[in-house]
Amino acid sequence: MTRADFVGVMTNAVAGLGLAPDAAMVTFPIEMFLPGSDIGPLDARRREIYDGLTRWRSAFDRAGDGAPPRLRVEGTSAEDALARFNHLMLINRWGDGLPLWPPTEERVNWILRGAAQSGERRLGTFPPRGGVTTVKSCAIALAMAGGRPEYLPVLVAAVEAFLDPESGSEALQAASGSAFPVVIVNGPIGPRIRLNAGFGCLGPDPQRPAGASIGRALRLLQQNLGGALPGIGTMANYGGLRYTNLVFAEDEASLPAGWPPHGSDRHGFAPGADSVSLAFANGATNIRRRGARKETPEEDALQGMHRMADFMRVPNMAGLAGYEHGTPGIIMIPGVVAQTMAGLGWTKASMREFFWEHSRIPLADLRRAGGPAWIEIDTSKVARESLALDPWPITARPENFVIVVAGGGHPTNSYWLQGYSPGVVGRPVALPVEFDRLIAEAERDLGPPAP
Amino acid sequence: MITLEFHDPSGAIEVKQPHAPRVAGLAGKRVGFVSNDQWQAYRMLPRLKALLEADFPSIEVLAVDAFPQGNGVIGSEETAALVKASGVDAVIIGNAA
Repeated sequence: MTRADFVGVMTNAVAGLGLAPDAAMVTFPIEMFLPGSDIGPLDARRREIYDGLTRWRSAFDRAGDGAPPRLRVEGTSAEDALARFNHLMLINRWGDGLPLWPPTEERVNWILRGAAQSGERRLGTFPPRGGVTTVKSCAIALAMAGGRPEYLPVLVAAVEAFLDPESGSEALQAASGSAFPVVIVNGPIGPRIRLNAGFGCLGPDPQRPAGASIGRALRLLQQNLGGALPGIGTMANYGGLRYTNLVFAEDEASLPAGWPPHGSDRHGFAPGADSVSLAFANGATNIRRRGARKETPEEDALQGMHRMADFMRVPNMAGLAGYEHGTPGIIMIPGVVAQTMAGLGWTKASMREFFWEHSRIPLADLRRAGGPAWIEIDTSKVARESLALDPWPITARPENFVIVVAGGGHPTNSYWLQGYSPGVVGRPVALPVEFDRLIAEAERDLGPPAP
Repeated sequence: MITLEFHDPSGAIEVKQPHAPRVAGLAGKRVGFVSNDQWQAYRMLPRLKALLEADFPSIEVLAVDAFPQGNGVIGSEETAALVKASGVDAVIIGNAA
């Protein structure tokens, strides 16, 4: 028994289990599932439920499924053909509303030059629908998203992290809480492929365009292989930041001495290694961090820390998903702030301790907001037992906070990506043999990189 | 005319196993519930249990809470094993999500 608007979620879920993509379902309007509803329709339609147990047959009687056939469009001109291609993408619910590149054999093979492995290498099945996911699937999505071959290693690593059950992606793909993946890139590959770590690193930038198409390709995979179609396969009420998700690099050049890069700090990758780290967030907030008048450096730093912790101190019940093993969120601070903080003796570890202590919520406030009920039904014993603590810590341990040095070289703001992340998953990035050639070709095509 | 030939971006789906066969009828059968315990499940599933028992006097319908409840556990292998071990002939999954 389910809601009429959940048919897509259900069929994705059963397909992801390896069953035919349908199921014996009896659906009712959402109103019947709300508090105080009239459940009389259950009596009236009970025979449908009985039939589901006794008479229903799957519409798919064939086991197995090969690769889908190639598609084609014809137009009176190149522009007409391109328009028809884009119309077809929308008609079949494969687009995102913005123009796409056709994933022709030529373009996909060009993208596959960025593959460290065979295009046929299987990465898994994309949850919840269970679309078979290969390096070539990533190349097809990246081609559609306007990407380039040198971006493919980051996308493949991000997809590997996404498909890791520890990420929680299977549930978050369908969930209503508007989770979006955040991909943090460490290592020299970030600046080499023009992935932004500075001004505007979460938004569009023609000087450093890699994050937009890598994140857009990941979203297309989420939708087209994973079945996360709004209102059908993903019930996200709002779906913010899902056009391109968030893909950015840590500003390693601005890391203070002794501050480890995120990939090393969280995942243990060697400093200087190319890696990705994937978490999910459900909100993004700019924080006016800098003081306004005559603060000393110490006062400016401490006030900024309190202001950031105040933004974290909210009853984000979705964040319980990562209470034990994930993250309550990702705090981004610009390099210039990191340098100042380090000069005052702060480290990433001491900042995490501070955030953990000062983001705790008095239990009375939590009760007023109905928070304990969500905590009591959480699957994590650690989360349930946290109700004994007053003030209530928003995450099990300080180490769960993610601190990344990124953002424009200006001290005024920091940025909080509120977590909805059962895990934070890291993966190394594997480069193809001819990666240097791809970087040279990017310079040929796009001009020299911005300073 | 200009022709564009391109890959289908929806990829392939693997069907690895058939859906469970249906029971011939509910009379004399043992039926269970697997519940997420949300969305009015506490009212709807007991009501459905009562309806089944009224419509099929020889049916055995397990209690709504016979198996672990909640979104976090109903999809687990452990719950599946409990369902299988219970000897039920059919299962109704609810509610709403």
